[in-house]
Amino acid sequence: MTIKRMAFVQELLKFMGLEGRLHLEWISSAEAQKYVEVVTGFTEKIRQMGPNPLRDMARKER
Amino acid sequence: MDIAIKTIINDVQRQLLENQVDIFLGYRKLDGHSIPHGYTRNNLEELSGLCISQNRYPLEKAATRLAQKHPNLKIGLIARDCNQRSLNVLYTWNQLNPDNIKTIGVNCCPSPVKDHGDCSYLEPRTTGPYKQEHGMDFNASPKDLVDTMTSQDRFERWMYEFNKCIKCYGCRNICPVCFCKECSLEHDGLVEPGVLPAEVPVFHLVRATHMAGRCIDCGLCEDTCPAHIPLRLLYREANEIVSGIFNFQPGQDMEKSPFSIIGDTIEAQLTPL
Repeated sequence: MTIKRMAFVQELLKFMGLEGRLHLEWISSAEAQKYVEVVTGFTEKIRQMGPNPLRDMARKER
Repeated sequence: MDIAIKTIINDVQRQLLENQVDIFLGYRKLDGHSIPHGYTRNNLEELSGLCISQNRYPLEKAATRLAQKHPNLKIGLIARDCNQRSLNVLYTWNQLNPDNIKTIGVNCCPSPVKDHGDCSYLEPRTTGPYKQEHGMDFNASPKDLVDTMTSQDRFERWMYEFNKCIKCYGCRNICPVCFCKECSLEHDGLVEPGVLPAEVPVFHLVRATHMAGRCIDCGLCEDTCPAHIPLRLLYREANEIVSGIFNFQPGQDMEKSPFSIIGDTIEAQLTPL
């Protein structure tokens, strides 16, 4: 069920022009190395993309 | 009065008298506008006013409400193709019992605000004049939007559209396949009451998500929307994602939505990092 929903939300966000900001990965508690790689990789990816454009909008509204 | 409607009136009268249906949902004219009306055994004289409407209303939604109060009521209704599709959805979600529903099929016809070409189930898929003027003209496929606009443009366009929302809940209220008793869009913790615009884009994406695997593309939401938000395009995309990932078309048959089935195997691909 999770993979269905995540695949759906990823596509929907892409349609909204917000692709790439959602990621799902299965990591076992025994896979510390993988955990580090995924989190570091995703953090780096988000850093390159910059802040979420929705953040500015939320500020404007308040 | 033409022959077609006469036949329908006779049919309805017979069904009512033979107790095949307890109430028949059709239309009647009021000040030149066709409005939904329930015909019953006790008011057979009203039947002469029964008409097929150019205006569209979700009669099956009225049927769902009636069935909630009177589970054994036998309901007849006039059904276009879109009504029929939403009936199928309502059957699979156990909102209506197919044994208690009897339909009289009529042809699809254009509504006053748009040409029937806007319906994705009818060919050719041309954009109606109303939508060309006020909406987003990407009627053939939402994929056109992805192909022709950068993600920055897409984002700005949708935020512009969503910001127009006056939170009238018209899209939800008219929707024939919206039937939840408690609506998350009315949950104070999720959607702050009395604040406009509704939180952008969460409000609309919540609805879009709920439409996935359920929306039968009747287009009533977009017809209704006073702010001309291209809701149909949004929900159509939601459904194309579902049909792309799960090969599922809501309302086509009695198959259950993929989001309501736990534990089946699928070939969904997540976006790689």
